[in-house]
Amino acid sequence: MTATAVARKPRIASHRPGWVRRYAAPVFVIVVLLLLWELAATVAPSPFFPAPSRIFVSAWKMFFTGPPEHLFLTPLMIENGLTTLLRMLIGFALGSVVGAILGIWSGLSQLFREVTNPVVEFLRSIPASATLPLFIILLGGDDGMRIAFVAYGVLWFVLINTALGVQSIHPTQIMMGRSFRLSRLRQILSIVLPAALPQMFAGLRIALSTSLIFAIISEFMVATNGIGYELINTQARFQFLSMWSWMLLLAVIGLLANVLLELVEARVLRWHRLFRNVGNE
Amino acid sequence: MSVLNQTRPETERGRDARRARSASRAPARARRTRLVVRGVIGVLILAVIIEIVSRAGLVDPQFLPPFSSVVVQAVLLFGDLGFLGGLAATILSFLLGIAIASVLGVGLGILFGLSQTVYFAMRGVVELIRPMPPVAMIPLVILILGNGLSMKLVVVVFASVWPILFNTMYGVHAVDPAQREMARSFGKSRAAVIGRVIIPAAAPLIATGIRIASSIALIIVITVELIAGGADGLGAFIASSRASGTGVIYVYAGILIAGMLGLAVNLTMAALERRWFGWNAQTGVK
Repeated sequence: MTATAVARKPRIASHRPGWVRRYAAPVFVIVVLLLLWELAATVAPSPFFPAPSRIFVSAWKMFFTGPPEHLFLTPLMIENGLTTLLRMLIGFALGSVVGAILGIWSGLSQLFREVTNPVVEFLRSIPASATLPLFIILLGGDDGMRIAFVAYGVLWFVLINTALGVQSIHPTQIMMGRSFRLSRLRQILSIVLPAALPQMFAGLRIALSTSLIFAIISEFMVATNGIGYELINTQARFQFLSMWSWMLLLAVIGLLANVLLELVEARVLRWHRLFRNVGNE
Repeated sequence: MSVLNQTRPETERGRDARRARSASRAPARARRTRLVVRGVIGVLILAVIIEIVSRAGLVDPQFLPPFSSVVVQAVLLFGDLGFLGGLAATILSFLLGIAIASVLGVGLGILFGLSQTVYFAMRGVVELIRPMPPVAMIPLVILILGNGLSMKLVVVVFASVWPILFNTMYGVHAVDPAQREMARSFGKSRAAVIGRVIIPAAAPLIATGIRIASSIALIIVITVELIAGGADGLGAFIASSRASGTGVIYVYAGILIAGMLGLAVNLTMAALERRWFGWNAQTGVK
């Protein structure tokens, strides 16, 4: 026993990386990869893969050299980048609210859950992109259709995770609310929702990153603006540098969205994290 | 444990836990009958509502065909050789894509997971690349590779390799060092330690990664087929049925079949995972 303990000690310490391992090493790898790409693009230029330095410069010029009264955003950026961002965020919000409401209902009522289960399982198994033509048929080609498509696509992640979170609440907690004679709404808002929140965030995280994907997919068909439209558009015109700039913008949006949600999660679930740490140590 | 929380969606664990709990409470068979009865009732309610709304003309049947007609049409499609060819193309791209992504993801994941420094460096890189939407590269790949199988495979592999790579890295990294050292002290070679200790220990997490990747892969295959002009496959079938204007019912039938395909993939992957790794405390009954 003691031998194992001694042998394991240094390994356990290395599970908690220092700043070198946590930040310096990844940054180093990324810089090396970018340099290799740059080198390859200079030695053997290919129209398909412009050098990263040129992509960065082009993206900066395309998106962030606008007039100061527009926060330096160019008209191109406002017309397409912000449009996509809005579609993504509104769709995400809408889908999350609907998903959370249905999820809470399905978590609390066994009857509702068991009746809807096959339908929900089937609907969420449909690869969401396959339903885009249907959305176009039913809702036309405007913003409403795209927002509805994004909302539909992300709803399932929130629904499933909320339902599981609600079901995992200890019955005593809900009974306590009842014996304090809290109203049904009050019970849901102040007991069910907070208790299900950690699990809900797991769903929200997937929903946020997929909402960007679905917003882009929706702009691949019958669109007149948006990042997805611009990607197709620049492809059709063989404007590779612009195309890579849009891809870079998308990557940055994806990353920022992820970071923001993690910050929100850390703030909202502060009580939960603390609780868990105390429990572990 | 925190490692696991990051790698897998909490969904499955909760579901399995619940299943295990209720199985011990009520007789399994009675419970199953109730689930089936209620599920069938749910499906029937939905089907009847759609049928009535459509037949009574509350919504233009052009936009919402009766449920029964859609089902009949979907069955009839299986007699259409052109459609079957497209469906086969979709399934082939999906299977090949997930196979390549698995080999790549598991191979690289083991490589990155074995060394501490490499693990932390690559984890940072993977976490940076992962949130980037893979659909962004579809237009570029179409331009370079055309609209055939190789184009689909590149996009599918790029999109679905991340969960596999990520989970393999975590799984390998999380192997109890005492187990590795014990195998070493019994005189096993490094390769044998990887084959006999590390891969089996990481296998449940790898399987979860492959399952998550498979649903991503199916979405991506269909997306690519939707937007690549002239591609074949289920996505192309749905897109062209919409474009032709007359085939709304084909759009519904196509989506119904896409859903069946998705359901088949999900159920197969979940069943395999349960069968092979049901023993595992982390993926199975917890």
